[in-house]
Amino acid sequence: MAKTIKVCTDNFGKGAQDIAVYKKLGGYTSISSRLFDLSQFEVIDMVKRSNLRGRGGAGFPTGLKWSFVPRHTGKPVYIVVNADEGEPGTFKDHFLMNEDPHRLIEGLIIAGWALGSRTAYIYVRGEFLPCIESLNKAISQAYVDGLLGENIGGTKFSFDIYVHRGAGAYICGEETALINSLEGKRGEPRLKPPFPAVSGAWKSPTCVNNVETLMALPWIFQNSPEAYAAIGTGCAGGTKVFCVSGDVKRTGVYEVPIGTPMMDLLNSPDYAGGIDGVLKGVIPGGSSCPVLLPEECEKATLDYECMISLNTMFGSGAVMPFNTTRDVVVLLNTLGNFYSHESCGQCTPCREGTGYAKRVINSILRGEGHDGDLELLLSLAEQYNGTTICPLAPALGQPMSAFINKYRSEFDAYIEKNPNHASPRISATHRPGAFW
Amino acid sequence: MNIIQGAVHFVANNKLTFEKGPMPIKPYPSAANQVGHKNKLYPQPSMEEILPKLETPAVKVRIADLLSRYPEPQGALLEVLWVIQEVLGWVPRESIRWASKVCDCSPAHAYGVVTFYTMYKQVPTGRYLLQFCRNICCEQKGASGIIAYTEKALKIKTGETTPDGLFTIVQVECLGACGNAPVMLVNDEFATDVEGGKLTMRDGITLTPERVDKILKWCYDRSEKYEEEPVRDALGGTLVGHKGHPGAPGSSAKPQEMDYAPACPVLGLKAVAEKSGVTLTWKNAPEFTHLVVERADGSSWKKVGEPSVKDKEFIDPTGLAGMAYRMIATSGDRVAKPSTEEKAV
Repeated sequence: MAKTIKVCTDNFGKGAQDIAVYKKLGGYTSISSRLFDLSQFEVIDMVKRSNLRGRGGAGFPTGLKWSFVPRHTGKPVYIVVNADEGEPGTFKDHFLMNEDPHRLIEGLIIAGWALGSRTAYIYVRGEFLPCIESLNKAISQAYVDGLLGENIGGTKFSFDIYVHRGAGAYICGEETALINSLEGKRGEPRLKPPFPAVSGAWKSPTCVNNVETLMALPWIFQNSPEAYAAIGTGCAGGTKVFCVSGDVKRTGVYEVPIGTPMMDLLNSPDYAGGIDGVLKGVIPGGSSCPVLLPEECEKATLDYECMISLNTMFGSGAVMPFNTTRDVVVLLNTLGNFYSHESCGQCTPCREGTGYAKRVINSILRGEGHDGDLELLLSLAEQYNGTTICPLAPALGQPMSAFINKYRSEFDAYIEKNPNHASPRISATHRPGAFW
Repeated sequence: MNIIQGAVHFVANNKLTFEKGPMPIKPYPSAANQVGHKNKLYPQPSMEEILPKLETPAVKVRIADLLSRYPEPQGALLEVLWVIQEVLGWVPRESIRWASKVCDCSPAHAYGVVTFYTMYKQVPTGRYLLQFCRNICCEQKGASGIIAYTEKALKIKTGETTPDGLFTIVQVECLGACGNAPVMLVNDEFATDVEGGKLTMRDGITLTPERVDKILKWCYDRSEKYEEEPVRDALGGTLVGHKGHPGAPGSSAKPQEMDYAPACPVLGLKAVAEKSGVTLTWKNAPEFTHLVVERADGSSWKKVGEPSVKDKEFIDPTGLAGMAYRMIATSGDRVAKPSTEEKAV
């Protein structure tokens, strides 16, 4: 029964990019019928009761995040939508914004009302120009319809939404880097505290939310927070949009209730339709999450607690299965290249450390590995933790140690290809200091 | 300049010895190096050459619109750079200086921004910039084969432009379309196939060598059809109807009213009858300035107390089980609607 509930993807393929169609499908009723009678605290209380947790990756309760935003400070409150979807494997926001931009606008108006915000920015990554076009068109329609602008619906409430185009930096998905980028600076993460809720964009209170989080709000208002909480597990309510890519029969975006078994998502004919070949492992939540072996996947359910109990993360909902024909050393090599390229360069353990790891993995892949290289990588992965401003380096360290620990024999086989593998590595040629 | 490759060792007698040998580092094409940082020797146009293109009425209107959206002009820097790239096709050195003037920041800051982000082209590229994803999902599904095929078909390597100036190949990180892996961007359009004379990316359609051929043919056809590539709005169209950020240059918007929403009522009221009376508990909202507890007295309501806004509970010593209670909150000069009625249990 619960499987048929679609919160965010209900309007897919129905032409909801147009405001008239979206309204016919029941859109904007939460605003016209209810929102303007509610106080700010009531709206936040509803979101708290719905048990909605942030869908961007960290899974922080949305209502709690909103309650941290101070009021009456004399400064404007900003809402920033994180649509800088760069986590490899994730493509849900891309589809959500293309297919249903008005639902995001409706969610934003609800958030704006709850937080007393005047201006919201949708930070879309630069590669998504078609999305930006679809959003700009939808926002213009909402302005014409009187849903945005000054004194919306005859109330004193005024609200504007602007789209901000990023320019290609994975790190801008981190909320403080995103705020820096919005201010026209290099996208370098800031130290916390102060948290953005207190001092974010232009030193004003700022709330950064993911696209999917905001798109759940209209449903919560049209139905009830309790109905939303009832869909999921006790720890997190509602549904989650999963992006299934890799070796499955049908890749794509599927919305399932939180707490669904992972193999249901991968094998059900309604969703991914089964694995291509023999399953070797699954990366459960985007490339930063530690990989799961097939036997772990059997008992995995798609919720926050179960993923933590399996020493991995729920992440952004990217499920990437790979079959036995795939080479894990090649996969880890692409990750090493990616994270060392995307490091913003502020913190030494990340700037130099990810490059160091990348060079060692590169050399293992080329058959120039040495005994002890894997211990070196594992010790690097450990040293990333807690030594950097943002979690970019740990985002390499976690999958790196999981790949090495779970598929150790394949890495060893690569190292043994080197005839001199028993001789120690001249690490001066790979170490950061020697490299420069 | 020849760089001698090898490793430096520091030995006990305070002498540096140099061990000659190959640097075991395979050059790996980085997106930043392909169109970005290697521009030192590229001929840069002078300010006089680019100004007539940038200071047109159409661009001025757009820049003014962008500046009105942010509380500080510097916020529009990324967007202004996009406009420059749309108008000039790339971001030459002098245009960065121009952008820094428009956005009221130092040229060094603007240059830092341009070089930080990978999508600003610091050298002109071919008419069709082919961006291939090489990240984990695409690599898994054979991106390197597709890239090698395209390189062979166009007889260029990654980072190079064909002699006719039509194509540039670059490899980039995740493009956010992993369901269609491997994928590519042709300029700003996702492409895995050509249907009806348009680039498309449909569910489950991935790049294959045949589809790459189709896409390349589409580009060739288009280059014959149009003398110059039609300009696409780098910021995805204009917004109509907005008045800008309050206080920004060129904006007539007014700031948010503080009391636009109704005052907050008391939520989650619970009444429990005990020996000492009826204990009331409720959720405290930060905006409460005054609270009143009322008890049903026949058909009317009678005030029984005024708890402080910091209190978490209120005890009515004369209360009994079955009596109905409600609370009324005040926030400044706004009186909220009464809470729900609760019978003491």
